Amino acid sequence: MVKNITIFTTNTCAYCAMVKRYLDSKQRTYDVVNLDDHPERQAEALALSGALTVPITVVTKEDDSRQVVIGYNLAKLAPAITG
Amino acid sequence: MTQDIPMHDVVMVGAGPAALSAAVYTTREDVDTLLFERGVVGGLAAVTDKVDNYPGFPDGIEGLTLADNLRKQAERFGAVIELGEVSGMKREGDFIRLETTSGDILARAVLIATGSDYKKVGVSGEQEFYARGVHYCATCDGAFYRGKRLVVIGGGNSAVQESLFLTRYATHIDLLVRSTIKASEILQKDLEQAVKAGKITVHLHTTTDEIVGQDNKVVKVVGTDTKTRSKVDFPTDGVFVFVGLKPNSEFLKNSEVELDSIGFIKTDKHLQTSMPGVFAAGDIRSGSTMQIATAVGEGATAALVIREYLDGKLTPVAETTEEVVVPTV
Repeated sequence: MVKNITIFTTNTCAYCAMVKRYLDSKQRTYDVVNLDDHPERQAEALALSGALTVPITVVTKEDDSRQVVIGYNLAKLAPAITG
Repeated sequence: MTQDIPMHDVVMVGAGPAALSAAVYTTREDVDTLLFERGVVGGLAAVTDKVDNYPGFPDGIEGLTLADNLRKQAERFGAVIELGEVSGMKREGDFIRLETTSGDILARAVLIATGSDYKKVGVSGEQEFYARGVHYCATCDGAFYRGKRLVVIGGGNSAVQESLFLTRYATHIDLLVRSTIKASEILQKDLEQAVKAGKITVHLHTTTDEIVGQDNKVVKVVGTDTKTRSKVDFPTDGVFVFVGLKPNSEFLKNSEVELDSIGFIKTDKHLQTSMPGVFAAGDIRSGSTMQIATAVGEGATAALVIREYLDGKLTPVAETTEEVVVPTV
């Protein structure tokens, strides 16, 4: 079971909008960390993903295990938010 | 069993400006229309910082906003956009069967508007540092380079436009151009201003040979000044690549749809492909001018032609005279 979902985004990122759109279509709630508003959290996004890119979607499960999806990747995002 | 498979009048593969424009026309006439998009709704337009040459916006418009407006307009009339991928298609009686990530579907007509994507430059280090110092989307990844140095590769509209966008983050940009700048006059004027301000240095006749990393980070790009034949190092924290476009047509390789030598789709004067009932519009079409405005125009034209096709009124090109009468609303 999914406990929470956090998306790291920027203002101009079209792929971030697609991740939000996909999660909305699946009636999933999520928190957003906008790196344009919070540049101090870039290091956190990098540490979680190992990538200098957005969107980064962090799916935390009930057992506190985490799944990190880099970019707009439905093949990884869809299974990550189910179960 | 064909009767168990969902059927639509028109399935559009892609949801960029061409398909969204076509969908506005088909759905306004109550033609059942489903769009499939594997990437970003709005296509490359959505990941472009600012669109300055699309008519109707005197001050330009953000690409993401334009894409969102196109989507909303199509959805207002009933277009349905499915987030998924089409992997193949074949004729089945009066229908075209499409294999998709949501299962097989049938369509009476198909519009392919999958557009194009940025090419890779094809040098050592590019793949290794993908998303960790090498990028293809300035509006996505530029924010990671606040106060850093960048290299941008390319000399066309995208390279110049995105370099100008990246100046809001980077302290300095080296723009590596294989030959000369091919961007529009207006972008070249903006580039001149950025060069005068010391934000961008343009290196003409400079190839990109290697992207070099150290301690898991990009540290420099090695190029060659082709006039002096000397190697040049460009110290940098990251690289953005905009060296042209490649067609998104891999899924058609085993289909009846004929492609040109590069992979763009060949069409006739009706925008119909070599597979009857399958049409193409926008950047994916061989001969396209790769502009949002023309993609939107081609999408509208394709929609009107598809309407004729669905009504059984589309005359095969071989039977037409030289002058083709484009159907009107």
